[in-house]
Amino acid sequence: MAAQHIVWMGAGERGVVPMSFLDLFLESLPLLVRGLTLTLELAAVSLAIAMVIGIVAALMGMSGVPVFRSINRAFVAVIRGTPLLVQGYFIYFGVTSVLDIRMSAFMAGVIALSLNAGGYMSEIFRGGIQAVDPGQREAARSLGLSASQTTWRIIIPQAIRICIPSVVNQWCITIKDTSIISVLGFAELTKMGQQIIARTYRSFELWIMVGVLYFVAIYLLTVLARIVERKVSLD
Amino acid sequence: MIKVEIRGLHKSFGENVVLRGIDCDIKTGEVVCVIGPSGSGKSTFLRCINCLEQPTEGTIKVDGHLMDEHAKNIDELREDVGMVFQQFNLFPHLSVLDNITIAPILRKKMDKATAEVTAHELLARVGLADKANAMPRSLSGGQKQRVAIARALAMKPGLMLFDEPTSALDPEMVGEVLDVMRQLAEEGMTMVCVTHEMGFARQVADRVLFIDGGVIAEEGTPDEIFGNPQGERLKGFLSAVAEA
Repeated sequence: MAAQHIVWMGAGERGVVPMSFLDLFLESLPLLVRGLTLTLELAAVSLAIAMVIGIVAALMGMSGVPVFRSINRAFVAVIRGTPLLVQGYFIYFGVTSVLDIRMSAFMAGVIALSLNAGGYMSEIFRGGIQAVDPGQREAARSLGLSASQTTWRIIIPQAIRICIPSVVNQWCITIKDTSIISVLGFAELTKMGQQIIARTYRSFELWIMVGVLYFVAIYLLTVLARIVERKVSLD
Repeated sequence: MIKVEIRGLHKSFGENVVLRGIDCDIKTGEVVCVIGPSGSGKSTFLRCINCLEQPTEGTIKVDGHLMDEHAKNIDELREDVGMVFQQFNLFPHLSVLDNITIAPILRKKMDKATAEVTAHELLARVGLADKANAMPRSLSGGQKQRVAIARALAMKPGLMLFDEPTSALDPEMVGEVLDVMRQLAEEGMTMVCVTHEMGFARQVADRVLFIDGGVIAEEGTPDEIFGNPQGERLKGFLSAVAEA
């Protein structure tokens, strides 16, 4: 029966019996899970790139070359000083119109999120690297290790352990920030929820479902992170 | 043969002048102990030798090579100068074995198996043959310091610097570290030890430097320094140490 289908349901003024929560749930869940999958894809790709941006930017921020330090400071200041929404609009509409290029909403989302998270991560990494005991660098250099061998073999492995809680924190933030990218028209979890509500008018139930899906994904990530953290702990 | 040649060494940290002109030669095979009150510049003096601190003025040559942190070959020069720190500074993320093999593998391009054979020999020498696979956190202070000595020796240095190697140890562990150092001295290693262990300095040193106020205030054989101190500052220092 057509009235059972989600597209037609929920609208009391259409004169049909409101759909039961169970039906709404079963109809919505596959769509929301598809949205969650896209959310996680967007977050995973963005965070992978953000980690690289963060490490490079952090190393630039601590470089002996003043120009590198200035670039890092400016980058972090811009990222921190402007809303992600504005960064997303700027890349998706601003940059594309000036450069006269086409870009998918996913691509624009990845660029905005990876730059945004990369800026915050660079500060996390810088803090982590600076928290490693200076004696470690001295010991490595006294053995003849070069500056870069010392950084990559001695300092970074310890800094990563120090950074894990803050990095996981940033991952959680970025996963949720993908919802801001929904304004670019990308059908991730939040957007998917909105679309279903537009057809069913069932705000209350849908936003709970959307919220629970975000919560479960992030909760699982933090549980996993805690296991990893315990595994690599040096204490 | 002169191993280390130090001329007109000055070192300041900003306004704070720590070393005010040190001249000193250290011969190959010589064991030099450096004593003096805290804040006198002993550690800074030692750290200048392998260029962990860049001299503000003056020169340090090891085997005739100028130690300068801007020198292209400074890493190579440091390979020949082992250093043992007060706080051990073992790499906490690496096993005892990896702590010892990392520098030979990365710097001397030694293959892993060879480096590990050498590491096991060194561990046996410092009495820790059974600790190869332990992580540093599981070791006592004395064991950590002996691993640190083995780590430095793995580079087959011609000179060893010890920066108060027993000052962070519980009293019952001081002996095991000093024993290893004594053995090293007997084998003919050139050593410079900043130490508060007057007994060790007296027994092992060929020469003792008393640094005070950033200069070598007095120097001589252990008998001269401990048995017949000349200056008031050295006399005061020795009696203060004896009371402690």
